[in-house]
Amino acid sequence: MTGSSFPTLLEALGDDEFPGVDLALRRGRHIGREDGPAYEFLVEALDHLEPFYRRFGCELVQRSDGFFFLLPSGDALGQRHLSAGEMLVGQTLALLYLDPATLAQGGRIARRLLLERLSGLIGAESLFRTLNPRRRKFDERVAAETVRTQVSEALRGLSALGFVDLEGDDLLRLRPALLRFADPVRGLSDPVRGLEQLVARGEAVLAEAQKDEDSAAEDEEAAR
Amino acid sequence: MPPADPNRVIAALARDRVSIDLKTVDLCFLAALTLRADRQALASFEEESLVDLFEQVCDVVEPGAENPRKRATHAIQRLRDQRMLARVDGAGLVHAGEYTLTRLAAAVIEYFLADESLTRESLSLLTGTLRSQLAEILAAAKKADSADDFRSGVAGPLRVTVGDLVAGIERRQRGLDAQQEEVREELARMLQADWFRAVDRCQQLLETTARTLGELNEILMRDTHHFVALLLEVQALAADAGNDDVEAATQRVIEHVDRIAAWGAARQRVWSDYYQYVHRFIQDVVRLDPGRALSQMLRDQIVGWKDRPFRLVLARAPSIRLLRPLLVGVERPPVTRPRSDRESLPAEVAAGETLGEVPDLVRAAVSEGATDLATVASRVLAAIPPELHYIATGHTTEILARLWPTHGDLERPWRTVLDRLEIENWTVSPKGGPA
Repeated sequence: MTGSSFPTLLEALGDDEFPGVDLALRRGRHIGREDGPAYEFLVEALDHLEPFYRRFGCELVQRSDGFFFLLPSGDALGQRHLSAGEMLVGQTLALLYLDPATLAQGGRIARRLLLERLSGLIGAESLFRTLNPRRRKFDERVAAETVRTQVSEALRGLSALGFVDLEGDDLLRLRPALLRFADPVRGLSDPVRGLEQLVARGEAVLAEAQKDEDSAAEDEEAAR
Repeated sequence: MPPADPNRVIAALARDRVSIDLKTVDLCFLAALTLRADRQALASFEEESLVDLFEQVCDVVEPGAENPRKRATHAIQRLRDQRMLARVDGAGLVHAGEYTLTRLAAAVIEYFLADESLTRESLSLLTGTLRSQLAEILAAAKKADSADDFRSGVAGPLRVTVGDLVAGIERRQRGLDAQQEEVREELARMLQADWFRAVDRCQQLLETTARTLGELNEILMRDTHHFVALLLEVQALAADAGNDDVEAATQRVIEHVDRIAAWGAARQRVWSDYYQYVHRFIQDVVRLDPGRALSQMLRDQIVGWKDRPFRLVLARAPSIRLLRPLLVGVERPPVTRPRSDRESLPAEVAAGETLGEVPDLVRAAVSEGATDLATVASRVLAAIPPELHYIATGHTTEILARLWPTHGDLERPWRTVLDRLEIENWTVSPKGGPA
């Protein structure tokens, strides 16, 4: 006897919500309470969908913060890693999500605030160099424009993945999935160990490993 | 009275260059005047008492300011210029003036002083009064036999009493909006200051506001439905009596009431979202991190990320490949024209008799004194059928150029010939005789 309102997997797969939810999950999107019917469907069908996705070499993860995502554990489904820009923007948004000041606006912040917080934490030049490791020359005006463009790109990416909703040109609605960026420091006093555990579970990769993969992919592409 | 056209109103305001520029001391002065008028039941103020009161206000707002009497004179003039104070004695220079606060000043001060947010009690009182007013209006509409009856018993009370009551509810709604904004800021402030210890107070504040909104919405839903039913009856009676003014006035009140009802539903929905958001925040963030260490650790993680970078892993299923149907390659022939013999043999065509007359006509025209091509052509073409005019013009030109010396300017002028043709004109010298 399961707690699911779907008696069988077949009925869960036959639900109208399934195709949209399945495609979104496979594309890396986080489905949260804000998504309404899609989230409710996942809650109801979780017992059937967990083993279903395991057969594809990935795990359907449910977080108590109120969101689901698909974590690939093999090569069957394909996987990706967030870019440096997405990581920095995502972590800063997570910090803003934890800030009680955001509460007054119901979890909404202005894009300007994100840029201010980002440059306040990392520093304008350091931010530019982190996002553009190959560029040596630093011109303040050009750098500011480049960073703004890269932050916008990162926001678009994070929005497609269900970390944040873009509301108009200026407003961002923060979603609980952002707490994934705080995973290394959640629940443990030692962030290094926290990160190691995250890597061991396959939820994150260290950037060195990422670099190796990138160069391997580049070599592979060059060989074609 | 029909509502004013917004474009005209805005244009008029812009034309008059209306503006309000009040400093803190001005607002405090107006507030002091309002409170004194209220306490002492004063309808107006003598100039001397204005100056005294301003000095008292100045002592509080800007202690140590020099020459307060002079400042009072300037302040009074400034407030008169901005239509906040009005002189009411009409005595001019004869004696010191007597002043009263204008409606504008009263409204400005009311905003700062009055605690006019919507409460269950105030809303119940307002809706109860409104219901009885509408019932009276409906009774008057049923008894009304003439346009005058409608005007005095229906249109008047609708505009004044009902209009004021509905506006009163709306004003209090705006007050409650402002109060809710303060509640949100208060919640953020409490958490910022006390974090985990503020959780109970936050939840209490949330519950209270949610309960207030729920109650208000319930009253609004119930009563506005009743108001609209009464108003529709009044409107139907006005329509039967052919009284367009009352019908339109009733329609405006119905729209106003609808707006009030929509406010209640919208605010409750927004607050419900906010309520859930704050609850989740308290549950997921505050309760799980009572020491508020997470923010600091995350801040450190961001600062040190470039030295120890990591990246989150996500699923990425490639898009489904939709293969196009296989097409057999077709050799397409180059685009060519069909071959045909376009060289036709010249055919012998007998010259028309009419065109045969052209040389004689040309000679005759020149001998009659024509000295340019346009004049010669006009005379020749007059004797030729219209369908041959174009050909005949060519013949004329050729014959004229062959028989007489011609002269043309660098820029030859265009001349109209018999309203059908235009030719570039040049002159001939008939004196030399035909060549």
